[in-house]
Amino acid sequence: MLKIEDLHVEVDGKPILKGINLEIEAGQVHAIMGPNGSGKSTLAYVLAGKDGYEVTKGRVLYKGQDLLEMAPELRAAEGLFLGFQYPVAIPGVSNIYFLKAAVNAIRKHRGEDPLDAIDFMKLSKEKAALVQLPDELTKRSVNDGFSGGEKKRNEIFQMAMLEPSLAVLDETDSGLDIDALKVVAEGVNALRGPDRAMLVITHYQRLLDHIVPDVVHVLIDGQIVRTGDKGLAMQLEKEGYAGVRNALQP
Amino acid sequence: MTNTNRQTLLGSLPTSFDKGPDWLRALRGRAAETLREHGLPTKRTEAWRFTPVRSVVDAEFSREEEGVPSLASPLPDGVTARSLRDVLRSEPELLDGRLDLGGAPTHFAALNTALFDDGLWIDVPAGNVVEAPIELALAITKSAGRGVVYSRVLVTVGDDAELTLVETYAGEEGGQLTNSVVEVDLGCNAKMSHVRVHENAGFQVGRVDVRQAADSAYRSTVVTLGGALLRFDVRCLLQGKGAECQLDGAYLIDGDDHVDHHTVVEHQASHCRSEQTYRGIASGKGTAVFDGIVIVHRGAQKTEAHQENRNLLLSDMATIHTKPHLEIDADDVICSHGATVGSLDQDQLFYLRTRGIPEPLANAMLTYAFLESIVDRVIHEPTRARMREALLTRIPHAEDIRGVT
Repeated sequence: MLKIEDLHVEVDGKPILKGINLEIEAGQVHAIMGPNGSGKSTLAYVLAGKDGYEVTKGRVLYKGQDLLEMAPELRAAEGLFLGFQYPVAIPGVSNIYFLKAAVNAIRKHRGEDPLDAIDFMKLSKEKAALVQLPDELTKRSVNDGFSGGEKKRNEIFQMAMLEPSLAVLDETDSGLDIDALKVVAEGVNALRGPDRAMLVITHYQRLLDHIVPDVVHVLIDGQIVRTGDKGLAMQLEKEGYAGVRNALQP
Repeated sequence: MTNTNRQTLLGSLPTSFDKGPDWLRALRGRAAETLREHGLPTKRTEAWRFTPVRSVVDAEFSREEEGVPSLASPLPDGVTARSLRDVLRSEPELLDGRLDLGGAPTHFAALNTALFDDGLWIDVPAGNVVEAPIELALAITKSAGRGVVYSRVLVTVGDDAELTLVETYAGEEGGQLTNSVVEVDLGCNAKMSHVRVHENAGFQVGRVDVRQAADSAYRSTVVTLGGALLRFDVRCLLQGKGAECQLDGAYLIDGDDHVDHHTVVEHQASHCRSEQTYRGIASGKGTAVFDGIVIVHRGAQKTEAHQENRNLLLSDMATIHTKPHLEIDADDVICSHGATVGSLDQDQLFYLRTRGIPEPLANAMLTYAFLESIVDRVIHEPTRARMREALLTRIPHAEDIRGVT
């Protein structure tokens, strides 16, 4: 599904990612854990195609295609989804109208007919229920005046609507209380499947209690320093990133 | 009155006025005097600094007759609409003190006072709440020669009365110059919603003067879609305690358009409130100007005044001048003002694209949303729908929005 090879990325001339190697197969959930400033969000943005990130070396293959050559909307149309850490508010653009544009743009790319209003409403009601997003929020402007928890639920709602092949979830747990965290995690778990892969980026282990990963990577200073199973997350929780750092010292 | 004798605007002023009641002859005489003394504005006139009126000031025009806006809707009960010329002939005393109600006019407004021949007087007597909107339309026609039209409307809304007025100035880009003056006199606790649309309004110099008594509320929504040279001034005089005005505007320009919106809000009494939100988009080689001033007079305590102008600049060749300002001569007031000129928000654009929305459509959605928030305030549903449709037609790639909604 996704193959990252020796990826080096700079922002304003400063190296942030320093040789990432990562391979995710369909059906797998990988977690990337790391302290602040380790390059987690940079990785998410590079995968989604944000401007301002210069790839100086390496490549990323997505379903066998060169991902870095694709425009953000093409990546989305090919099934890549980024759940933002800080979803932006878009006053004046209603959530539901924006999603309809998105769903139908992606359907068009796949050679499918657009959903009509009735089918779309049916689908959106079903998916909103999945993350307990109130009907009223689906009609408001995108993320405008949403609480932190509502924004994150809206991200997962969008993911459910767009049914991606690969979901990159950037700190989906940040700013959530435990109840909201459970709702969001249940929404994510409902979307797990043999054809779908997920890359869950988080600072804390607690999200991984609810979204149990197959593989855990530790990202420090732009490099993956450890890879293991979910036990690695537990170890990190106990020893902290300092513990991992110390263990790496020769 | 249409004739082929073309004259400059100033050259068309008569030396004396001998028709109509004494007070009108005095008003016209004073306006002509002001013009002879000070002339029409030039680049050096501060309030006209960015308005390229020289081509108008120097040009010769022939006088066209069609200056009276026509009623585009049936007249609801409780309102009268009469010809100004008829009233000035038969009952001139009814209008004494109600023309030039904002004070002695200058420049183009003075020209209008000196030269208007006919117009409309819309009157809602005290206590009448008129729900149905009154629609006025002035078609801007492409004259064979270069014509000038003087249009004059007086709206009087009595104490506790309410009115919705929708004015449309639409037509073809052409040589005609429209000089329009609308005067509004609001009684105590009167309410008026005023929608004004300029669509391809050619050459136009227009102004609205509003005089507000205590507790009255005036709400104006202006939508300007293109214009070869459009200068539009709204001036509200909050003369009675507790009066309120809300002035909203949206402008969209392209090509070689020049569109210029000015507002003046004078807080002359205490406990008044004013709020202004103007938003504009400039593309092509167009120029848009916003100049708004709030004047808080001495003694106008407990004033609340807010003013905001936001602009999107979509082309390197387009120009935006924005100048919101405040003059405050009272101490117990809450005032704010702000202006921005920018391009589309890159984070919003990226967000839309990560959801699969192609860049041109994402651009169009954000551009449309920027102005739609003002168009949404147009109180008259058919006009609002028409303006939304016009935005979709005029904003690049916005046609695609239709396909997904």
